[in-house]
Amino acid sequence: MPRKQIFLLIALAAFIALPQLISVKYYLHLSILALIWVIMAQGQNLIQGYTGYVSIVQAGFMGIGAYSTALMGSHFGLPVTLTIILAPLVTAVFALATGYPSLRVKGHCFAIVTLAFNMVIFIVLLNFTALTNGEAGITGIPKPGYGRGAWIDFHDRQVYYYFVLIVAVAMTALAALIVRSRIGQILLAIRQNEDLVASVGVASWKYKLFAFVVSAMFAGLAGALYAHYQSFINPEIFSVAQSLDAILAVIIGGSGTLTGPVIGAFIVVFLPEYLRFADSFRLILYGLILVLATIFMPRGIVGLARDIASRLGAR
Amino acid sequence: MTEILQQIINGIAIGGVYVLIALGLTIVFGILGIAHFAHGSVSMFGGYLTFFLVAQQGYPLILAILVALVVGMVLGVLIELLAYRPVRNANHINAFIVALGLTMMVEGINLQFFGAEQVVIPTDAGRVFSIGGVTLPELRLYVILAAAALILAMTIFVEKTKTGQAIRAVAENRDAAILMGINVQMIPLIVFAISTALGVAAGVMVGSLFAIAPGVGEGLVVKGFAVLILGGLGSIPGAVVGGIVLGVTEALAAGFISSAYKDVIAFVVMIAVLLLRPQGLMGRA
Repeated sequence: MPRKQIFLLIALAAFIALPQLISVKYYLHLSILALIWVIMAQGQNLIQGYTGYVSIVQAGFMGIGAYSTALMGSHFGLPVTLTIILAPLVTAVFALATGYPSLRVKGHCFAIVTLAFNMVIFIVLLNFTALTNGEAGITGIPKPGYGRGAWIDFHDRQVYYYFVLIVAVAMTALAALIVRSRIGQILLAIRQNEDLVASVGVASWKYKLFAFVVSAMFAGLAGALYAHYQSFINPEIFSVAQSLDAILAVIIGGSGTLTGPVIGAFIVVFLPEYLRFADSFRLILYGLILVLATIFMPRGIVGLARDIASRLGAR
Repeated sequence: MTEILQQIINGIAIGGVYVLIALGLTIVFGILGIAHFAHGSVSMFGGYLTFFLVAQQGYPLILAILVALVVGMVLGVLIELLAYRPVRNANHINAFIVALGLTMMVEGINLQFFGAEQVVIPTDAGRVFSIGGVTLPELRLYVILAAAALILAMTIFVEKTKTGQAIRAVAENRDAAILMGINVQMIPLIVFAISTALGVAAGVMVGSLFAIAPGVGEGLVVKGFAVLILGGLGSIPGAVVGGIVLGVTEALAAGFISSAYKDVIAFVVMIAVLLLRPQGLMGRA
């Protein structure tokens, strides 16, 4: 068996065994959040890592996914499983409307325009109280499944862990499929030289819009899983700061790789917890780690590991 | 009618602040191609420092502003040397990530030194002028005049002085500038010093007109970039027009539509301009 597949199997086994190895309940909670962030980061990676466009609206789309699943459930009485599936589609509609104007500019300007969209989404979630209940948020969002005591009870954290794990693995596989397809090749080409792509007659804007919308759908799905896990959402967690976390997850893990976002997602969820000892210095320390990592480890942890592996192999 | 005029005057004062932020961003972007996202937080640092010196150390306002300007310039130079210079030759995304990290650090420093309380820089400019029903607070007048003076000084510096010419030369063609004997190691430091000084001035204006609190800096830097996109990248007249358009739009939106949604309306205007004129209001096609 090739080394890559062995590695994949070991990683999968580790994720399956994880809840049995964790004795502290709080770490299981963080692991569930980290798996949700894996989906976020894989989406972010499609637009940022593969297409080369840094989008800063991912948390906003996560919010749209979270609010749409909660509101469709409470207003139309739709079953949870259905609203979780519909949430990414609702997000996609918003992503189409925001992606079209944003993608008219490139580079830093694109980043700033998407950031402005995140602020718009945040302000609307905060102020459109008739729909979103403003800062107080929405409480009592139901879990999927058949309620407490059913044969699969999603109130059990272990059950929810495996549920999110299955979705995260499926979404990672989907990301892999996209990346390896012809579309993925074109996205990579856009990252390397967009003018050249256009010059051979490929309508690059369609592919960029595709990557943007798909990445938003990933975020929408992550938001829906988050809403039903926490049973409570408010606008605070869908602000620009969380969009930055998605970018960090991709950069620290290794952008343009499939393993990178997985590692990065766990880091952005667990690192702030471990930095709690630093108390008020936490933000400074977090920023410092980020700056140092970008300067000294520009290709992320995966890039660093590959360099080390190839050096050992060369000997 | 007076109500509209009133909101336009309010908008020009806010717009002046936006122009200063945008000018600081545009010279950095022009020279280094960096979206200096930490600019807003650094500006707020200047505002906080001024407040600290005036309210807690009893400095006169002018002296406090001068000290904050100098400290801000040193901070700007350090940021360039320690954070941006090491990633200069890397992918431009990396510089942006460094900028995000810097934002967190400076926000953290602000929080650590100055606390989470919202602060207002005390001034004794409390008079209110009234011209035909339109009121103009003394402070707002000073802000508009100071912003205009700084914009003028900056324009003269960039257009007329030797250093300004060198800055424009590096922005236009770095390699050719090296061949012409321009010290390209020195130019970014000068640019960051100027940029941060403009930012600190804007921070002081925000701190005395409104208030400084955690998160204000990030909102401000986004507005600054919105101004750049609105006016056209790398254009000083564009930044001036863009800033005033954004400020007036916001004031009118707050006065006549909804103050909660004023930012949304400002961004919608930016996006509309982007759709109709992707190069910005004053940018070259």
